Amino acid sequence: MPRPEPAYADLPPITRRALFASFLKMGLLGFGGVLPWARRVIVDERRWLGDREFAELIGLCQVLPGPNVVNLSVIIGARTHGAVGSLIAVAAILLVPVGLMLVIAAFYAAVAQDPLTRNAIAGASAAAAGLILGTAMRLLLHTRPPLRGLLTGGAAFVAVGILQWPLLWVIVVLIVAGIGAEWLARRSGA
Amino acid sequence: MHADTQVLAEIATRFAALSLVAIGGINAILPEIHRVVVDLEGWMTSAQFADLFAIAQLAPGPNAMVVALVGWKVAGVTGALVATIAACGPSSLACYIAWHWADRLRESPTRALVQRALAPLAIGLILASGYTLARGADRSPGAFALTLLAAATLAWTRVNPVWVLLVAGVAGLAGFA
Repeated sequence: MPRPEPAYADLPPITRRALFASFLKMGLLGFGGVLPWARRVIVDERRWLGDREFAELIGLCQVLPGPNVVNLSVIIGARTHGAVGSLIAVAAILLVPVGLMLVIAAFYAAVAQDPLTRNAIAGASAAAAGLILGTAMRLLLHTRPPLRGLLTGGAAFVAVGILQWPLLWVIVVLIVAGIGAEWLARRSGA
Repeated sequence: MHADTQVLAEIATRFAALSLVAIGGINAILPEIHRVVVDLEGWMTSAQFADLFAIAQLAPGPNAMVVALVGWKVAGVTGALVATIAACGPSSLACYIAWHWADRLRESPTRALVQRALAPLAIGLILASGYTLARGADRSPGAFALTLLAAATLAWTRVNPVWVLLVAGVAGLAGFA
């Protein structure tokens, strides 16, 4: 573990402290979803990855089992500090949220009855959904996929979001279709 | 003590098994978690499960954390830790292995091709999860406006999302949502 793998060279050097602090921040601020914060911290603030690399990495994290942001922690941790890095990042993104949630759970009965709190939560939940939609928009604008990409992405949105089809099968079919389309494009365009 | 250990072991095995099928994250297998926790194990009622889900929405962090709450409900803080580790451990290990495998193919044009195919798919799925959440959250025109405002702010500005959430919370407090 002490000598850095040259294979990880495309990610700038990240100290363990920075790794922990960044993922802690994502977990802590990730109300209603961590993904908008993951993109903001990794792409805008720390500049570890560009939007395109981030989208590609999240793509991998989505198709693997497990929460996508936990998978993202595993991979970015592994790329910078191997298995130890994965543990640091996963612990950081889960620890504080789990602790906070247990505190919330202890007070939930009292809080849930309070109409003002409910109103505030309703407002914040609506915005949290918007942050996730905005993240998708931003990735779309910054990566500008070709038509074939727009078609697979659009099909994923319609099938999972609107038609509520089972995610697993949608992913399997669209991975095959997406890879097939890329392969055809490379063969005819190369 | 013995009974406690047995319950913890059951939590661990149930969630470890769910972990490896959780493609698309925990929200994708929520119905399956419900089946195990309410129907098979009888750890809680359906209404209690819905309450836990609502609490999980209040806390920051990955939405996977509803499993920590299930563990907490069944076996306290230890249960929460066991459930979280069991639900994230196997999938994280699979991800770690998959990453090393992908890393070895880093120069291969096949990997670049697969990545190009995955990126737009990921964007479509993120859009779908935002849409699903918005459908649940937007019960009034005001809430719908807050969702649109938040989406536009994130897509076209670099305003810190904390402000978006705070403003929306205050707007909600004022009865706007």
